[in-house]
Amino acid sequence: MPDFSLPLLSGATRNLASFLEGKKGAVVVFWSGVCTHCVRYDDYLNRFDSDHPELSLVAIASRQGEGAEQLRSTAAGRGLRFPILHDADSKVAEQWYTQQTPRSFLIDAARVLLYRGAIDNFKFPQDPDYLAYLEPAIDAFLSGRPVARKETPSFGCAIRSVYYILPKPL
Amino acid sequence: MKFLNALLRLSAHVTENGLLMADSAMRSIQQNLGKLSGTEAPAPPTRPPMEGPADLDSATSDFSNRAFRILQSARFESGSVVETSRELFNAAMKSYSYEKNFRDWMLFPLQLPLSFGTLATQQGLRTLYAARSLSPDRVPGFLAYVTEIFSDLHVYLSLQYKERLEKLTQRVSERPDDHNARLDLGRCLIKCGRYTEAAFELSIAARDPGLRRRALYEATVANCRAGNYREAVEAGTAAVLMDPLNERAQYWLWLATRKAGGYPADFPQEFRMELKAGQHPSTVQFEDVARAIGLDKTAGGRGTAVFDYDGDGYLDVVVASAHGGCSLYHNNGDGTFTDVSVGSGLDACVNVFGIIAGDYNNDGVPDLYITRLGFFGGECELLRNNGDGTFTNVTRQAGLECWGPAFSAAWVDYDCDGHLDLFVANNLGGLFDRKNPNRLFHNNGNGTFTEVADQAGLKTLYPTIGCAWGDYNNDGFPDLFVSNGIAPAQLYRNNGDGTFTDVSHPAGFDDPCIGSVACWCDYDNDGWLDLVQFVWSPPEDTIYTLRTGHGPKNSFPLRIYHNNRDGTFTCRTKDLGVDGCWGTMSASVGDFNNDGYLDLFLGNGDPQMDRTEPPIILENDGNGRFNNVTFAAGLPFTGKGHGANMADLAGDGRLHLIIASGGLYPGDLLTVAVFRPKTVPGNYLNVRLAGTRSNRDAIGARLELRAGGRAQYRSVSGGTGFGCLPYEQHFGLADFTRVDSLHIRWPSGLEQELSDLPINTTIRITEGSARWELVYPAERTVSNQGISAAEALTQNSSNTTPEVPS
Repeated sequence: MPDFSLPLLSGATRNLASFLEGKKGAVVVFWSGVCTHCVRYDDYLNRFDSDHPELSLVAIASRQGEGAEQLRSTAAGRGLRFPILHDADSKVAEQWYTQQTPRSFLIDAARVLLYRGAIDNFKFPQDPDYLAYLEPAIDAFLSGRPVARKETPSFGCAIRSVYYILPKPL
Repeated sequence: MKFLNALLRLSAHVTENGLLMADSAMRSIQQNLGKLSGTEAPAPPTRPPMEGPADLDSATSDFSNRAFRILQSARFESGSVVETSRELFNAAMKSYSYEKNFRDWMLFPLQLPLSFGTLATQQGLRTLYAARSLSPDRVPGFLAYVTEIFSDLHVYLSLQYKERLEKLTQRVSERPDDHNARLDLGRCLIKCGRYTEAAFELSIAARDPGLRRRALYEATVANCRAGNYREAVEAGTAAVLMDPLNERAQYWLWLATRKAGGYPADFPQEFRMELKAGQHPSTVQFEDVARAIGLDKTAGGRGTAVFDYDGDGYLDVVVASAHGGCSLYHNNGDGTFTDVSVGSGLDACVNVFGIIAGDYNNDGVPDLYITRLGFFGGECELLRNNGDGTFTNVTRQAGLECWGPAFSAAWVDYDCDGHLDLFVANNLGGLFDRKNPNRLFHNNGNGTFTEVADQAGLKTLYPTIGCAWGDYNNDGFPDLFVSNGIAPAQLYRNNGDGTFTDVSHPAGFDDPCIGSVACWCDYDNDGWLDLVQFVWSPPEDTIYTLRTGHGPKNSFPLRIYHNNRDGTFTCRTKDLGVDGCWGTMSASVGDFNNDGYLDLFLGNGDPQMDRTEPPIILENDGNGRFNNVTFAAGLPFTGKGHGANMADLAGDGRLHLIIASGGLYPGDLLTVAVFRPKTVPGNYLNVRLAGTRSNRDAIGARLELRAGGRAQYRSVSGGTGFGCLPYEQHFGLADFTRVDSLHIRWPSGLEQELSDLPINTTIRITEGSARWELVYPAERTVSNQGISAAEALTQNSSNTTPEVPS
């Protein structure tokens, strides 16, 4: 997968390689503070570092029109502890073929793609039909097995669309 | 009572005529004033109104919508009349900020009331038609539903729900006792998919005695959607006991009890729900194979199109999504699929409603046309198939730029010149909006199109949802049926010279209904195309149907119009045994039980978060009855279906029922379902046509197949409902082991007849050639009995029928 170099919400610029240093791999999540589906994964993403110390987690905020200040206040308001990179012109989302949030990518230290798609099937864990997608891929990767389901379709809120910059009716 | 009904009907007609007259009078004054000020009636927009409304009428609609929303949210801020007035003033300034010249300013005081006047007459007509399309007790609920949907969807589609959630959350934290706001917050959270939080807020709102009834019901929905079935049963039980007349609460409680292990032991028998509909014995058993074949996309499902994008013979699938991009699935050759969306160019197409495949440039690979956001306004796009798995947006080069609330579209070669033309149906773009003109684009034959709706005589009288092209009078030219949202439908006869005549009244399409999509199909195999107009019914009518097996007395089920062969149609729904009411949004027609008679497949629901509804299948028994066999055939109890499609995805004679499920609210995500018959239900023959003089996909061709002394008729359609069926025509042959003949009338006018056809296989016939070829390799075709594909292939090579000159 292509590397990128983007500013953190704090202003410092980071590239993907720096997240992979000393790690077995990384999970990259395209994310938005506006996206109502991403909200559901706040806890999961906050816990990610302690659950998977071998991996890095990095969120990329690519949604059109979402400013750094807005992202900072959302992150502070929701107590988000994972690193969020700001992809203001959605270029990285385009390079990574991503139109919706949340969409996750699991890559190894050499940036080879192991899994891409949804985190789960948008059911709730207590639902009998619940299926996790990302976690089984991580388990397989960390235990040296091949990833069984390498791709799932994403869903969620769109990253770019002309409708979001139309005059707001509200 | 009869007298009263007649009087009511009469007064409705008087009101209707009054409104129509007032509308046309004000319109002509508007036109004259427009001439005075030197402004012409604005052309339909080609691009998004980034600078806001560009003319007076759009500005009036825009302002009305804004004002409605401001007044709606103002109820929480009692006492702030000044603030509300300020907001209304700002809204007016924004809406009417388009450029005006001196004469515009002079005439503005005259034109403004007229603009509001025509908006009011149109809104009035719609309300009137709604009242005539529903039983009286359903009208208030319907109006509330329409109001909520149209004023709400903009907020959710343009991702402004964050602001709404913040506003409500702030209100609730400032005034924890404002249970109205909390109820709204709960409902808003459900729409966003945050069900557990919603259930929590609703449980607090339920402490208010005045709101308890509503809050408990909404909490049932939230808990059920969150998978907290035990909590859903608790809330549902309380909701039903508090309000035993709430049918929706009874329904949701029933859904929850199915998962939670039944009703509480002490729950009164009379409020329990039982399922009576869909129990008629089915000739086919279905299983959901979406996950097994790789089509289980989770999405706000919209249209589906089944087409062979890469020319390998196997049918591929594209699924549109209201929120995400389109998904393109490649058929691996065995009926399983690989998601090849990424990089195809389709993955970047977000917010798509309808999607139709058609080879507009006759280059041998089908292209795609998409419509967007039928409640809001969006850009329609033409995506040219590059033949290598990628698609390029060529809308501008093709001269097809248009912006509007387009619902469905269809490819058609209305002038039979061998090039596919395009029809786009436009709905309403807001609660207060004027009808947006439907478009007819003529293909110039060089990759460009010219809009000709006006010259062709196609008038847009009402907001349109569905369109269906079919040659009902067998004169060789496709005619147009327009299914309107809340209005009478229209039938346009093709005069054969590029113009159309509105024959709705003589044909018998006078009664208004809440129409959704429509299909032409010859359900009784008499050689004349009949018509099915699907209808949207309120949830209460659907629940009534589910629990009794029949629609309520004064309800309006789907309409099956029988072609009387003299240019008139008779609605025969009741005679055919159909009285169930469903909220049909999408539907298609096909012979899924291979008995030689066309069956119906309905995708149902509506955007409301508290509406979930099963897809319905109506089996045509060939003796003049359509039986609801849904649940006996193994289909599920819930759903929300767009893009209902039927296709033989594995090429083995089994029509798969494909349904892209999901709603418009971001929280309403469901998975695409694919129901496949467990066994091949009978012999069959799939026929694909390749035009040479006609358009490449032979859209508009008429096929007459004779087998076992019976005839069956198909016409190749270029768009059904939200998407399109494959161009492959599936003929069920029951236990007949031989096809006597196949007569084809090509859109070019060429007629040809083939005999000695194989069965239980898929063949391709090229225009003008008396031979046919197998689409799939012979060895993979399963032969039941009679002439096997391989045997027939030998016969075909020695086929002595003379070649038809092309």
